[in-house]
Amino acid sequence: MKTLLIAEYREGKLLDSYTELIAFSEKLGAQASMFVVGSREQLPAFAGRLYLADVKAATEFNPAVHKQLICEVAAKEQPQMIVLPHSSYGWDLAPRLALALKAAQVSEIVDVRDGQLVVPVCNGKLQRQVDVQTELTVATLQAGAFPLKEAPAGTPEIIDLAVTGSSDLTFSGYEAAAAGEVDLGKARVIVSAGRGIGKPENLEMIKGLAKALKGEYAASRPVVDAGWADHSRQVGTTGQTVAPKLYVACGISGAIQHLAGMKKSDFVVAINSDKDAPIGEVADVLAVADLKQLVPALTEKLQA
Amino acid sequence: MKKLLVCIKQVPDMESRFKVNTDGTWYEETDLAWRMNEYDEYAVEQAVQLKEQLGEAELTVLCIGPDRVKETIKKALAMGADRGVHMTDNESHLRDPLAIASMIADFARQQDFELIFTGMQSQDRGSAQVGVLVAELLGIPALTTLVEFAYDQGTITAKRELEGGSRALVSCSTPALVTCQLGLNRPRYPTLPNIMKAKKKELASLPVTDLKLPPAQLKTAAMAPPPKRGSARILEGDTGDVAAQLAAVIKEKM
Amino acid sequence: MEYTREIYWNIGQGAAVLVPMYVLALIALVLFVYGFYRRLPVYRQGQALDRSDQRSTRLNLVLRGILLQTRVLRERAPGIAHALFFWGFALLFIGTVLIFIQADITDPLFDIRFLSGSFYLFYSLALDLAGLTAIGMLLALLYRRVIIRPPGLDSSFQDGLIHALLLIILITGFVIEGARMAVTELGTPLAWWSPVGLVFAKGLAAFDETTLRSLHSSIWWLHLLLALAFIILIPLTKLRHLVTTGVNYFFTDLGPKGLLPAVDLDNEEAEQFGAAQIKDLTWKDIYDADACTSCKRCQDRCPAWATEKPLSPMKIVHQLGEVAFQTPEAQLAATLERDAVWACTTCLACQQSCPASIEHVRKLVDVRRHLVLMEGEFPGDEVMSAMENTEVNGNPLGYAFAAREDWADDLNLSEDPEDPADILYFVGCYAAFDKRNQAVARAFVHLCRAAGVKVSILGKQEKCCGEPMRKMGNEYLYQTLAADNIETIKASSAQQIVTTCPHCFNTLSKDYRQLGLDVPVRHYTDFLAELLHQGRLPLTADAVDCTYHDSCYLGRHNDIYQSPRALLAAAGGRLTEMTRHGDESFCCGAGGGRILAEEHLGSRISDTRVSMAGETGAPLLVSSCPFCLTMFEDGIKSLDKSGSLKAQDLAELLAQRLPTTQQGANP
Repeated sequence: MKTLLIAEYREGKLLDSYTELIAFSEKLGAQASMFVVGSREQLPAFAGRLYLADVKAATEFNPAVHKQLICEVAAKEQPQMIVLPHSSYGWDLAPRLALALKAAQVSEIVDVRDGQLVVPVCNGKLQRQVDVQTELTVATLQAGAFPLKEAPAGTPEIIDLAVTGSSDLTFSGYEAAAAGEVDLGKARVIVSAGRGIGKPENLEMIKGLAKALKGEYAASRPVVDAGWADHSRQVGTTGQTVAPKLYVACGISGAIQHLAGMKKSDFVVAINSDKDAPIGEVADVLAVADLKQLVPALTEKLQA
Repeated sequence: MKKLLVCIKQVPDMESRFKVNTDGTWYEETDLAWRMNEYDEYAVEQAVQLKEQLGEAELTVLCIGPDRVKETIKKALAMGADRGVHMTDNESHLRDPLAIASMIADFARQQDFELIFTGMQSQDRGSAQVGVLVAELLGIPALTTLVEFAYDQGTITAKRELEGGSRALVSCSTPALVTCQLGLNRPRYPTLPNIMKAKKKELASLPVTDLKLPPAQLKTAAMAPPPKRGSARILEGDTGDVAAQLAAVIKEKM
Repeated sequence: MEYTREIYWNIGQGAAVLVPMYVLALIALVLFVYGFYRRLPVYRQGQALDRSDQRSTRLNLVLRGILLQTRVLRERAPGIAHALFFWGFALLFIGTVLIFIQADITDPLFDIRFLSGSFYLFYSLALDLAGLTAIGMLLALLYRRVIIRPPGLDSSFQDGLIHALLLIILITGFVIEGARMAVTELGTPLAWWSPVGLVFAKGLAAFDETTLRSLHSSIWWLHLLLALAFIILIPLTKLRHLVTTGVNYFFTDLGPKGLLPAVDLDNEEAEQFGAAQIKDLTWKDIYDADACTSCKRCQDRCPAWATEKPLSPMKIVHQLGEVAFQTPEAQLAATLERDAVWACTTCLACQQSCPASIEHVRKLVDVRRHLVLMEGEFPGDEVMSAMENTEVNGNPLGYAFAAREDWADDLNLSEDPEDPADILYFVGCYAAFDKRNQAVARAFVHLCRAAGVKVSILGKQEKCCGEPMRKMGNEYLYQTLAADNIETIKASSAQQIVTTCPHCFNTLSKDYRQLGLDVPVRHYTDFLAELLHQGRLPLTADAVDCTYHDSCYLGRHNDIYQSPRALLAAAGGRLTEMTRHGDESFCCGAGGGRILAEEHLGSRISDTRVSMAGETGAPLLVSSCPFCLTMFEDGIKSLDKSGSLKAQDLAELLAQRLPTTQQGANP
């Protein structure tokens, strides 16, 4: 089986998510080649053919041109699967590729079971195992679902691509995330608040616990959307992806978008009143309790 | 007069408890509460805001599914859409995103829509494909995952949400399609006069003919709840005891 | 000698006196009537409302309210001062009218003089004492206003003018009497029957008769002019309450207590829902502004005001009056300020305490209705999501509707057509979904079973009763929920409904009546108190010190104060009442739909109430409402009182006192 991996390059950086594409491809036992709109300055650690289109010509976000380039590569490589990260880049580009190449698209793959692709349904409350009917599949991978066990290694064999074609949309740069950002990615301990905290005042006790653990506090998307916490504190697919030594999830039921952002944590403690909450699936310890009582009690015990 | 289209989907409330149906192909529909896909609420709101901005414009809302989806169409009508189109399809939940996109594109092709709005993805299937596919089928630009939107004389200026909090600045000319991310706006609560008016608005039903649809690309081999990791150690009981045990576990790990 | 006096002594009864006097009096009366008459069109801006039924009840309210000052006397000290002043002033008025009748009607026309003999003695004494009392009380009230200055009692020029005018009228009355007595009565036994006049007479005795006569005549005219000025000022100043408040007793809302008028949602012609402008309120809402005496009793009791929120029920009434008279086109939501409109907990403390029968809550809900139904506006996004949750899942908490009966999984409460239950337990959203309140629901079921009462529930077919939505102004959602619930209840075999939530109870027993539910509805405290009385509830008393919080919707809204206390006593509860209990109870902060909203402004109402409970020293705060329990659990945590105070629902406390064999047993 042959796969074509589409790496993502954004804001002048090759994103680490390419390693997950490699891990997925390895899991399938496939022979992979890679495509990236990027630069020779930043090459993936990948032993295989790398089709490289210069970002200066193709620009970081340019779906029509990227689609055109990938279609050319696909014509050469004849892969059975084109793999992208399920990210703002991937889910925008994948359907365009699938339609152009008459391929089926399978979105946000979390697992491979019986040789078939598994995707979440209803916020991850169910999983669907998919049987693909087309010769070519376009696949997008959920962030964090396929971690690479060892550090990636290898030097790619670079094949430069000439960029032609034009786009029907204009991309004119980035707007940086708001000031006062916290880099949760570097935190050793994160205490995170979900909808289950009930009201904004209760965020104080979450901050208190974070302080007691000398860590940062974070929040799930509903808490941020409600305006209770700043966006820079958001963990999840639309926030930050974190990997602390200890992650304490308070009142977070475990929506798939959130789980994707914190699955790489070394040790996960969940505090939730619902024993069956999906967070239990990624937690190492699940304390079934009312967090409004447990969090202050725990903070006190930890400070003692 | 400019014509606008917003495509919406009816989905189960995500708080529901989901069970797999007997075929093992989708979720069981009993005991589910239905509502408008959350992403689509933002799409409807943005479309209505644009309609209000343009003054002279007609906003059509399109929804595919069984009869029950009419309720969701009515909500969009109450939010301010002018006319509803219901593509009657009891099998819509089994269809590929491409089949759904083809139905929408076939409908849209006969009209002259200046702008098409969709949600960025559905909450149940979550493929995030339909909007982009519709645009590609129609040969118009698609701006996806928008958290900011502005329209002025045939030009859309927008911001896409990216992972990690930054945003990409994008623009394109109409006709175009945009997919809406959560947080794009504040979906309005329909007013009572608008709810009453919505009851009298046109709601056309269109049949779906399988003949025109592309062949199925995906089949569901199995549906199941996610496997339990089962490794989580569960602490329950008296809050004080749980706190003590938890503190011990945490101190050990630090 | 017959005891009497010459009525027009020193003044004379000639045309030179009578003509100007009657002309002036007539002018004053015309101005008085016109002053009120020109207010009528302002009232008529409002919508129609029938307050003319049950006339004898209404007249009775008027007579009791005015003559016995019943509503004024509900607040002790200022109430007594006002009532005594009123009675004194009223007697003087009656005395003056009697003089007028004799001097200008019965005497000249029929030669009848009734102000003589022992009646005159009594008359003379009574009026003197009445005048003295009125002066005393007026000074006391002035002292309160100027020296004590109770917070919230704002004094304006008008208040100064009114006090001064009344005082001068009263004193000049005595000066006139004193001057006359100094000339005619000093040294006669008659003088003793006018003791206050006698004091003035003695004080004036040093002057010679000529001086006294000219003093008497000038003060007499002054007194007359001031009295006529007083009459003219009545419709122009706060004094208008002399008329309007009494009349408002006639227009009292005769209940059911606190019930909001239903909005006709089937009316397809309707283009306006709720109150955008003053014309959308009823005439009574405008009239209420005229009936207000600014006594600020409502403000003193308002939980929002007490916690530094921008809501004073009194100011709302005043503002509406200003709008009606000055800027009738104004948008009410903007004029009243949205934060004030949303702050009301509909606890009814304002209406309960109002001596003028003003209905504050309806006005605020009507403005809320406009904001929600016409503008889609809520006090916060959290309230809007609660509404949306309710639309989708029938509960504001956002839980799956199918999980509504999970709490009762092991209790076997579903309806059995073969063996119908004795009561239908309408569980309510909090008891069904909130872990803390599920314990209350279970306790109630155990209590019923211990008493041999078979309970059924509607299960996942039950929906939110709609109370918080209705109070938040979302009449449409409320009526949708109510219609669904009524249909479900009617389809069941329910003969009697019992609720644990006072909000459900109030809504099902009053609001649902407007929509066609006729099954009797009771709150569990009343229901269990009856079982206790019948000897069916096997409680074993176990002493516990506690205080009891009267939920607004059980107490003020439904006058249920005794049942919970009887149950508490039977359970061994040693009750220390909070200062504010019974119909003076202080809201927990969750009424009026505020349970759905964040409390961003001022301090927390629940904290205030928990502090009041703490002041009793009792370690247990008992209530019988899921909203109250939720607020108290919050308040206890936020005040860090969990060491010294626990919150419990009465049902839990009772269930702990059932024989152990019966706890949880199925009948």
